[in-house]
Amino acid sequence: MDEWKPNPAIKPHKKRSWYLAWKYKLMNQRALRKLCQTGAVLFLLVTVIVNIKLILDTRRAAYEEEEESAQDYDDEMLNVEVPRHPVSNKKVLDVEVYSSRSKVYVAVDGTTVLEDEAREQGRGIHVIVLNQATGHVMAKRVFDTYSPHEDEAMVLFLNMVARGRILIFTIKDEGSFHLKDTAKNVLKSLGSQVAPFLSWRDMWTFVGKKGGEVYGEKHAKSPALSTWGDPVLLKTEVHLTSVEDAECRWPDTELNHRRKRFCSKVEGYGSVCSCKDPTPIEFNPDPLKDNKVFDVPVAVIAGNRPNYLYRMLRSLLSAQGVNPQMITVFIDGYYEEPMDVVELFGLSGIQHTPISIKNARVSQHYKASLTATFNLFPDAKFAVVLEEDLDISVDFFSFLSQSIHLLEEDESLYCVSAWNDQGYEHTAEDPSLLYRVETMPGLGWVLRKSLYKDELEPKWPTPEKLWDWDMWMRMPEQRKGRECIIPDVSRSYHFGIVGLNMNGYFHEAYFKKHKFNTVPNVQLKNVESLRKDAYEAEIHRLLGEAEVLDHSKNACEDSFVPDTEGRVYVMFIRMEQEADFTTWTQLAKCLHIWDLDVRGNHKGLWRLFRKKNHFLVVGVPASPYSSKKPSSVTPIYIEPPAKEEGAVA
Amino acid sequence: MQKINKNVVLALLSLTSLVFLLFQLYYYKFYLSQKNGAVFSKVRGSQSGQDSTRWHVVRKFLGLISSHNIPVYLIDPLILGLVDKDIEQIRSSPDGPSPECKYFCAPRDFTTFALLDKTWKHEVGLFRTAEKMGFQWLKILNKDPRLDGMDDLSGIEIPLHYIFKLASHAIHLVVFYERSGNYLWHGPLRLKQHMDRKFVPFRKLHFGRYPGAYEKPELLLVSIDDLKVQIPKNPSSFLEEMSHSRFLECRYREARAFFQLYPDDASVDAVEFRKKAKSLLHLAALTLNNLGVKFWLSSGTCLGWYRQCNVIPHSKDVDLGVFIKDYKADIIPAFQKAGLPLKHKFGKVEDSLELSFQGEDDVKLDIFFFYEEDDHIWNGGTQAKSGKKFKYLFPKFTLCWTEFVELKVHVPCETRQYVEANYGPDWKVPVKTWDWKSSPSNVQYNGVWPVNEWDDVIQIY
Repeated sequence: MDEWKPNPAIKPHKKRSWYLAWKYKLMNQRALRKLCQTGAVLFLLVTVIVNIKLILDTRRAAYEEEEESAQDYDDEMLNVEVPRHPVSNKKVLDVEVYSSRSKVYVAVDGTTVLEDEAREQGRGIHVIVLNQATGHVMAKRVFDTYSPHEDEAMVLFLNMVARGRILIFTIKDEGSFHLKDTAKNVLKSLGSQVAPFLSWRDMWTFVGKKGGEVYGEKHAKSPALSTWGDPVLLKTEVHLTSVEDAECRWPDTELNHRRKRFCSKVEGYGSVCSCKDPTPIEFNPDPLKDNKVFDVPVAVIAGNRPNYLYRMLRSLLSAQGVNPQMITVFIDGYYEEPMDVVELFGLSGIQHTPISIKNARVSQHYKASLTATFNLFPDAKFAVVLEEDLDISVDFFSFLSQSIHLLEEDESLYCVSAWNDQGYEHTAEDPSLLYRVETMPGLGWVLRKSLYKDELEPKWPTPEKLWDWDMWMRMPEQRKGRECIIPDVSRSYHFGIVGLNMNGYFHEAYFKKHKFNTVPNVQLKNVESLRKDAYEAEIHRLLGEAEVLDHSKNACEDSFVPDTEGRVYVMFIRMEQEADFTTWTQLAKCLHIWDLDVRGNHKGLWRLFRKKNHFLVVGVPASPYSSKKPSSVTPIYIEPPAKEEGAVA
Repeated sequence: MQKINKNVVLALLSLTSLVFLLFQLYYYKFYLSQKNGAVFSKVRGSQSGQDSTRWHVVRKFLGLISSHNIPVYLIDPLILGLVDKDIEQIRSSPDGPSPECKYFCAPRDFTTFALLDKTWKHEVGLFRTAEKMGFQWLKILNKDPRLDGMDDLSGIEIPLHYIFKLASHAIHLVVFYERSGNYLWHGPLRLKQHMDRKFVPFRKLHFGRYPGAYEKPELLLVSIDDLKVQIPKNPSSFLEEMSHSRFLECRYREARAFFQLYPDDASVDAVEFRKKAKSLLHLAALTLNNLGVKFWLSSGTCLGWYRQCNVIPHSKDVDLGVFIKDYKADIIPAFQKAGLPLKHKFGKVEDSLELSFQGEDDVKLDIFFFYEEDDHIWNGGTQAKSGKKFKYLFPKFTLCWTEFVELKVHVPCETRQYVEANYGPDWKVPVKTWDWKSSPSNVQYNGVWPVNEWDDVIQIY
């Protein structure tokens, strides 16, 4: 058809011939033929005109559209896009690893990913895990293998790292003293030649791929007991693999997208990232019938302990009646890894710029988190407050659902808490039993919005006051004589060993043997009797039926309580006035329960279990229940040992 | 033979060019229709000017969201306007088939729906399905205003608007959030730099120029043009509400800067006063809203909102403004019934009216009535002992919504001019001694009340 593209030059001629065609039409056949010819040409002409019009119209329309492009709707802040790092096609990473007495560092492609020259800190073996495809740091750990048991933690960690990852090791100061054979063998299996012979104050660096090649190893032996090996600097190259090789082939689902993102960023979470049969990240626990806390927001207060947060969220999302939409994780600081954990579970997380230091920082973080929670859920009357180092019992929400109406109706209540300070393996027994106590236990509790908004928020300790928020909340100015409801058997378990006020010894002594409910769907039995007046009646009934123990015996001895089950016993201790806890503290000490300050009391009465018997302790004469003491009984007094300061958590 | 051949060739060529021309015409028409919105052949509505594309797109969209159990409701002002005219009929016959396409066939670029944030779970699946159905979609995110007051929290960005485009029609889905103060809020629509500015003609959107505040609407399920949709139960009041729904966020950043310079008073007295002022304001708002009297934060209370997003602890009273045209005689008995006795009444409805009510423990509620003139607005003051009158002048203003102490209230949209008129250019500096007769920079002496009127215009209880 191209040859039919009309030549504008012949236009006038054609027009004339069209006119002539009419003239000739009647005369001869040739005219008809010519007419057809002309007609065809004309058609083509029109086509061209239409074509041109089309082009013009399209142009104009496009131009108009451009004009219209919503200037009003432009973001005022011209947020300059931070140029993303160009995707490096480089297949080789330069790795530098330095080991010495006082300093370690690791640089990948010139970027320092680890640098530690702080004094008296960071002793032991530093481990860095890199993604074999991207070279990104996925985990950073230090195991103080100079101290006992740290090597076990390291073995555990190394076993969790996926095959193919790049591992970098370097020793600061000393890393061999408690490095046992098991750990040495694991290092040997990674390809280290030196690890089995590492000894006192040796310097050592090693780079290798898990289950694969070794990229380099350097070692400097310590010449004598009193001196360190010479610093060693290892420079080596690591060949990157393709992204496909570094990822697992999980089915293409929404959940696995989250999993993939998580697993390509961080390491050390074990089976959640295993290629074959990974642990689920969605739990779908049974819903609760008549769940009264389904719409109650849950605030998870977190710091930079992502492994704890991971464990905590798993247990929280497995609890019956949980509503993931109501959960918000508040992270104190701009830490990436806790946020990765939050995203793995598809929850929402909010980061909080740290304000102030130490306890005040925690306290400010609490305030911001609570305020934000009530802002985000303006309808909520309550909020559940959890911390990142708690396991949540399977019936946590069931417990709250059955008891939360008390908090709404009974003005004399301060909170409902899932934690019994005195609920140890040997002192707690009945998961369906609740108490009223004057102390606020925290560790998984429900806060009333009106209490927070009207009383606590306006006078929350300011950043310069280095107060613990929980200690502040326990102060009489805040508590105003109100009480908390707690279960006999705790619905949360405090597993955190590292923390601001926490260390291994402290945890072992006070938290490890805490009783934790594992029975689902416990029906609470005395909920209505927890109301202010009903509870007094309940206590009087209990004291009425309680058998008075033999006060001539030693209260600390096991034989103090008869070898029975299911009975109610009462003992009387000396308590001169309301704040006299001398004997109680000594008793708490010998019973191996919380003795650092007074917890779990209600008007000079403590309730716990001994040998599966309900065991009541009444402080005489301060407690109003003293009247129940038979006149023949002399309250027990235990002399405190010579003055000794104990830390208070 | 030759002749015939030539003729045949010519005829063939003509035919080809005719086909070509037809194709061009068709294409041109197709292009035009895409511009104006009619890609589908007119299946419904034989009348000219009707456009079934829109109807089809809306139907597809409603199918999409109902397959994901997402409850949306129609807030398109143009359709609601039409619906409102026939509301009785629509209500009475919720299921009747409609004879003609009346509402969803007028050719428009957009149909607007609303979504309550808390009623869906942000499933990504929705968008996958939408894509499979042929929709292109755009999500507009921005900062979460509920956390905006808290500088040190880096909230997640939240979705404020979605646009689903299919062929020549687009669905604008506005996300509403519940906020403290029991109201719904939607955000402004602001395009980020990398976004496609030509995705849809954004200028023609009915929502998104400003953020807006609304009451929670009651919904009604109706069938219009054979489509089942939820609409606000009372479309006309929704449209009325929409016409002045503009919302102003408190200036949290400036407020923080202010507190850096002048640390907040955290004394017991200040905490107590704030608590009382807050509950007084809540009570006043409840009372006036029940009467249907529009009011706004004025004087010191307005300054507190504008400058520090909080009640000024040393202000000792709560100040509200009301246009005199909204005055109702019921105001005084209503407040009395609410437990706030009249403390004094100055002026009269025609001139310089001012009411004061006694709140709990010396916290006073002042209601100033504002008189509109051609080029300014003023309210009056009266000195009780001398009968002197004062006049406070303000530039003209309109009212916007804001959130203050967990309450949705009005403030003048042109707040800065309002505050500056009252407190002068140094309003940023806290002043503890304030004389309402001389300190304001907009005060004018306005004569003296005639002595024979004093009993009426100066009432003190």
